[in-house]
This record gives sequence, structure tokens and C-alpha cells, in this order.
Amino acid sequence: MDLKRLEVSRLFHRFAFGPRPGEFAAALKLGPANFKDSLLNPPLVDLGSQKEPIFSDLGPRPATNSLAVKEFSQSLRSQSKELTIWWLNQMVLTQKPLQEKMVWFWHGHWATSIGKVNYSLPMLKQNQTFRKYALGNFRDLSQVMLLDGALQIWLDGNENTLKAPNENLAREVMELFILGVDRYSEDDVKELSRALTGYQVVRSTGVVTLNQRRRDKNSVAILGKSTVMGAPDAIDHIVDQADCARFLAERLWYRFISSSENMPKDHPLVGALVDRDISRGLKVLINSQDLLNLNNSIVKSPVEWFVSVCKALKLTPSKLDSFTKLNNYLDKMAQIPFSPPNVGGWPTDEAWLSPASAQFRIAFATWLVKQADLSDIESVTPEKRISYLADLLAVPEWTPRTSSALYDVRANLPRLVTLAICTPEYVVSQ
Amino acid sequence: MIEKPIMSAAQLGMSKFTRRQFLKYSGASVIASTVPVLSISDIVQAAVSKPLPLGTPILVVVTLYGGNDGLNTVIPFQDPTYYTSRPDLNYKAENLLPLSDGLALNPAMTGIKTLWDAKKVAIVRGVGYPEPDHSHFSSMSKWQTGSPKTHLNTGWLGRWLDTQPVDPMTSISLGSILPPLLVGSKNSGSALPLGGLIIPSGSFAKACDSISKPSRADNKLMAATALSMRNLFSISGNITPVLLQPAPLPDDLPTISGGNAGGDSNLTQQLNVVGKLIAAGAPTKVWSVSLGGFDTHANEANAQAALLGTVSTSITKFLSQMKASGRSKDITVLVYSEFGRRVKANGSDGTDHGTSGPVFLIGDRVNGGFYGDQPSLSKLIDGDLAVTTDFRDIYSTILEDVLLSPAERVMGKWNGRIKAIKAV
Repeated sequence: MDLKRLEVSRLFHRFAFGPRPGEFAAALKLGPANFKDSLLNPPLVDLGSQKEPIFSDLGPRPATNSLAVKEFSQSLRSQSKELTIWWLNQMVLTQKPLQEKMVWFWHGHWATSIGKVNYSLPMLKQNQTFRKYALGNFRDLSQVMLLDGALQIWLDGNENTLKAPNENLAREVMELFILGVDRYSEDDVKELSRALTGYQVVRSTGVVTLNQRRRDKNSVAILGKSTVMGAPDAIDHIVDQADCARFLAERLWYRFISSSENMPKDHPLVGALVDRDISRGLKVLINSQDLLNLNNSIVKSPVEWFVSVCKALKLTPSKLDSFTKLNNYLDKMAQIPFSPPNVGGWPTDEAWLSPASAQFRIAFATWLVKQADLSDIESVTPEKRISYLADLLAVPEWTPRTSSALYDVRANLPRLVTLAICTPEYVVSQ
Repeated sequence: MIEKPIMSAAQLGMSKFTRRQFLKYSGASVIASTVPVLSISDIVQAAVSKPLPLGTPILVVVTLYGGNDGLNTVIPFQDPTYYTSRPDLNYKAENLLPLSDGLALNPAMTGIKTLWDAKKVAIVRGVGYPEPDHSHFSSMSKWQTGSPKTHLNTGWLGRWLDTQPVDPMTSISLGSILPPLLVGSKNSGSALPLGGLIIPSGSFAKACDSISKPSRADNKLMAATALSMRNLFSISGNITPVLLQPAPLPDDLPTISGGNAGGDSNLTQQLNVVGKLIAAGAPTKVWSVSLGGFDTHANEANAQAALLGTVSTSITKFLSQMKASGRSKDITVLVYSEFGRRVKANGSDGTDHGTSGPVFLIGDRVNGGFYGDQPSLSKLIDGDLAVTTDFRDIYSTILEDVLLSPAERVMGKWNGRIKAIKAV
């Protein structure tokens, strides 16, 4: 294995959404160190940035069977469609791929589904928060997320009151968002839920306000500290825990390095997160030797696979011939942005590899390749197309099996490209 | 407030991944793509060549993902504390399906009430494990591994599979991902994805096949990717008329208020397939199906009633379907969830994660009635119901009295049993 190709390939597929044509070869020429610099220091102005959709407040749902409800439902659907396509376009076209990859990471971390939130406006606001704090400080992000309308709706924070505390948000703050399982007690969850009482959300806009009358203003005892705490104090206190840095490190490791290998206990990433500075952590991760360790392979999730295919084949999601078809393929492969399966976020690795998803991936690939302009590949002599495709797709190397299988179909361009993006070498970031 | 977005409900309520996460949490090491994936025709063929002898016991495990509210399933309607604890989330006595001992079934469970009256339903009350864990992930992992104290990499039925001859047909889970329940250290259950697969054909199929051949240069995940493609092609396109229809979209289920803790949403269809395959003579002793959506933190009553209605109707229909096959007397159905819910309702007409809950055993071989003590509503532990029966009592009983296998090899030394199963 050519370790330089491996490292650059991993940088592209994990810390970005894959290369555009020519970028892999250019990065190889530049060398991994310089390429890392360019990932960490993107252009200040993102020329590829997609204009955010502007959503009107659709207000409360009209009465069932009323005339207005039909129009309301159509508006919900069309906003949701616009939201999805906007974000997919952003992933493909942005010039700040690391930032966007972190938006994707946070989306899976604070996993909130439009399936319960219903309205696109709060989902858009949450997505903007992820982008603003993508590489910022986790403490700031956690504070802003406490007031995130979509998250409050998703975890019933809206209903958590002095009279009747609802633990849903408090539990996930402890288990899935800030500390990790087994790093707190049941009492900590109950006490935290009291500290988080009193927030109210306007569902259609995601605007969160604090209703003092619904707030529990009594002293709470959380993780060894017993005092009167407002929700922001409580969040600060939890982010202060040393376990927070460890947990964040584990989550970054899990999504960027390996979800099957455990992070070494003494990994420098934990120390780098001492101030909860995400960009410092990522810098350590990007520069670590873990990117050269052959054990650390990872399966691209369907959206990651789709976006990297779009980039390689110069496709723009909004210009594909049918949004319904696109949505349907992503649905079949079990990953639609804004709809994680549960609050634990997206699954990893083998979960994406059932025979059923293999079938849908082949169909999806066939549909995408049909719409791609393959003239660049056509201009390459058939004998050189296999290695050309390795660079186009940032594949470190083809196995002899795949080289020979692709060689057999080298003259049939659509088939060659369809197969190449379905190979184990491409589905997996090696 | 409930409005369907453009994604299908299947997508939103999708659950296999939650089960996949349980795999992670419990450290189980089975790889989805190396789990044998069966097609309907594989099973039908096996049913023809080596049918399960009539009279062989069959276990059907129904997992309710999300934490079913036991107190609104088997309802202590004569206890005033029930009404004071849940002023806005209770059922009036006149709407309930009364059993005995001051308990009644949720009004949606008419089918199971009929089976109860025929003495075919055992309800084990207050089931759980010591030091209850309120996390979906951890609690489900304890239930499925059957080991509340130490983390095991194997499920309790997976360890039973380890004692059986190697045969991918012995245990089958509906859906494409295997739950930890069926993961053993040597043997594992198989997965049967629902819905027809569309397999490429002709020279394109040949080309697809050639990029998925085993390669020594593959790392573990690449090998798994290749294997998943090969499995696709090894499934014959010649699907028998047992099941030609693709999986219907389960858009009638309330994925909204209980939709964030996983679980499959097409229980009726899963049991329909299981019923047809049992009738065809499939050589399978343990089946696993699931339903999600029980995480009802808010506006619980309607959502839970719809789900319990699905559970009740689909199980009743399944068992009555089985009568004609001559196998209904062989079948025992187990229904459980990872925890019950808090006694006091929260302010959102829902309930938070609790502890113990009722477990159902249903079938001709069941001695109908109540087992275990009903946890008191006034003597709560931290606001939660006490655990009066350990799930290991039930598992040990099922292993010995349903599957006719020694329990110790699976559960270790464990003495508790319930007398809910008739002798063969």
C-alpha cells in the first residue's frame, strides 16, 4: 500500500466529501502536510457557499379537514424538499469542505429528526448553528444548542416544567451529547432535568423563551455540585467535566478514524480538547499517525458516498432529473439528511452493507452515471482509465480483483464508472 | 401538529439501526454482512427438503422498542393511586378489558383479551432486572444479552444457538440487521430482509459479480462490502409465491410521539411472513420480530393504543392463521420491552423512562393467568415501580419448558422459574 496515497485519500473522504476532478492528483503533488494546511485553512470567502433558503413561518397547523390544511401540508413538504436539496448542494459545492463535514458530524451528534419537529424553519436554524460553530468551541455550541428550538421540540424540552419534569433532554445531554454513557448517575439526570425546566418553543419558528413560572428555581445537585443553577450554569458545569473532553474525543475518533477500533486511552486528542476547542482537536486528529494505520478503515455513509460521487462526476444535486427519485434512493439506502433514525444518530460501517443496500447502491449509481458528462474519462485511452478512475475517486489502490473486473469493461464507459463507484475500494474509505 | 414530511414513515421510524447500536453497546461482534442473509426461497426450499417435524416447539420473540408503558398496558384500574398519579393519562374503568386481580388490558388489546379468556395468555408482572438502567441502549442490551450485571457479547438466544447444530435456518430475524439477541459466540441467527430484492441480470450482473469476488487484498470492511454484494447475487431471483409483494410502507403508525428510540414498524407484515413460513414447514425454531415507537414521552395515549392494537391484532391473527397448519400448539410467543415507564405522568401527557413492566407469553402451551407480583403504586423506588420478577426467570423457563434445552448452559446458575408453560 502506498501510504501517501492512503493518507491523502483518507483526508479527502473523511475530512471532506471527496475530491473534485484533478484535486487528488494535485494534493498528492502538494504533499500531505500542505494539503492538511489547506483543509484547516480554507479560503476566507466561500465562493461555493449556497444561499440559504428563506422560509416563511407557516404558523400552527390548521384544523384537520379544513381547506387551509391542504395548503399548509404542501408548504411543509415544499420547504422540507428545499431544505434537503440546499444542504446537499452545499455539501457538494462548498469550498470549505472540512467545515461542512463538521456540520454533518454535529448533525449526527445532536441528532434531531424533522420527523418529529415537522417544520423546516427550526431545522434550518439548527443547521446554521452547526455551521457557525462547526470548528468553534464546544462549550459555546452546547450553550446555543440548549436554546435550539428543533432540539427542544425533539426531546420534549418544551414540556419540561417545575410541576412535571420531563427527563428526555436531560438524559440525552448526559448520555449522547456531552458526557457519554456510564459517566453520570440516574440522580444526575433527574436533577439536570429540573435545572432545564421552563423553556418554551414556538414550534413553527423554533423560537425558544424561558418562562420563569415553569422554572424550577430550587437548588439542584449535579455531578457533585449542589447549588441553585440556571440551565446555562448546569450546561457549563457538565462541559467542565474532564469526561466531556474524553467523550468528544471518542466521538470524533468514532466518526473520523474508526468505529470498530477503540481510541487509545492516552490519545493526544483528549488533551487537545482541554479547552473544548474543536479546531484544535481536529488539527491533532488530522496530523495523527492514525491516518496511516491500515486497521482504521471506515464505510462511507450513503450521503457521504452520494456527495463524493457528485463531486467526482461534477453533478449538482438540485440539477438531477428528479428530486423524488433522489429522495427515494436516499430513503432506500436509509439515510436522508435531517432524518436520523433516532437520537443516537446515524449508524456506521457494516450497518450500511446489507445485500439490500448493495442492490439500491447499484441502482442509484446507474441513475447518477446516466446523468453525468463522461467526456473527460472518454478522452483517456481505455488502458489508462482504471488508474485515471483511482485518482478521480481518490481510491488509494484497486485490488487485483477490481482492476481486472474494471479492465474487462473499460470500453463501456457508463458501466465502467457505475462499477467503479460500487467497488468495495470506493464504498469503504480504506 | 403531526405532519408527514416527504420522507416515508419507514425512514423516520427506522429501527434496525437502533438494534445495530445495541450491537455496538453490548460489544457484540457480529458483522451484518457476514450474518447469513436468507431469501424467502431459501427458506421455502429448506421447508421442502428438511421440514421441521410437527410437534417441534417454536418460539416467536416480539421485541417492543422504546420502552412500553406497562401501567397502561396491564392497568391497575381499581387502585386509586393509578388515577392520582396520572390525572390526564389514565383509562376509565368502563373502557377497559378486565382480567382479574383488579387488572385490565388496554382497550386496544381486544384480540389478546380473547386469548386470555381462552387461558392462552400468561402475564408476568413487574419484570425487570436489578439496578434498572434508564437508557434505551443499555437497558435493551441487558434484556437481549440476558446479563444485567456483566456486559456479554452474546444474546441469550445466541448462546442457545451455540448449543444447537450449525444451521442458518434454526433462528431467523425479520429485517436486514440481526439483533444482539440472536448473536452467539459460534452460531448466530440469520436475517431475512422484507420486500423483494431486485437483482441486476445479464452481463451487468456478471460485471457486478466480478467486482465482489473475494480478494486477499481486501481489508475487513471491503471484504464485508464484497460479501454483501455476493449475497445479493446468491439470492435466487426465483422468489416463490409465498411472498411476492414488496414491504408495504407502514405510514399508519404513530412514529411521531414515540419515534426516536427505534424499532421496526411493520409488525403485521413480519408476523404474516413468519406465519406463512412456519406453515410451509420452515426448519426454524426461533423467530425474532419487532415493533418500535414506544418511546412515548408526550401525548402518549393515542400513540400507545395504536401500537398495542397492532401488537394485539397481529399476534392474534398470526396464531389463528397457524391453526390450519397444525402447528398452533407448537408455538409460544414472547412479548417484552426494555423497560416500563415512570408511574407519574410528566407534564406532556406522556411518561419518562421507568423500570419494570409486564411480559406476555402467549400460545396453546401456555398456562394462562398472572405470574409474579404486581408492583405497588404506593411503594415506589425513586418514583419507579419495583422489579418483582427477574427476566432470567422467564428466559430459563423458556429454555427448559419451551425449547426443551438445559438452561444452565445459557443462563449459568440461575434458580428462578415461572410455571407458565405446560409440560409437553
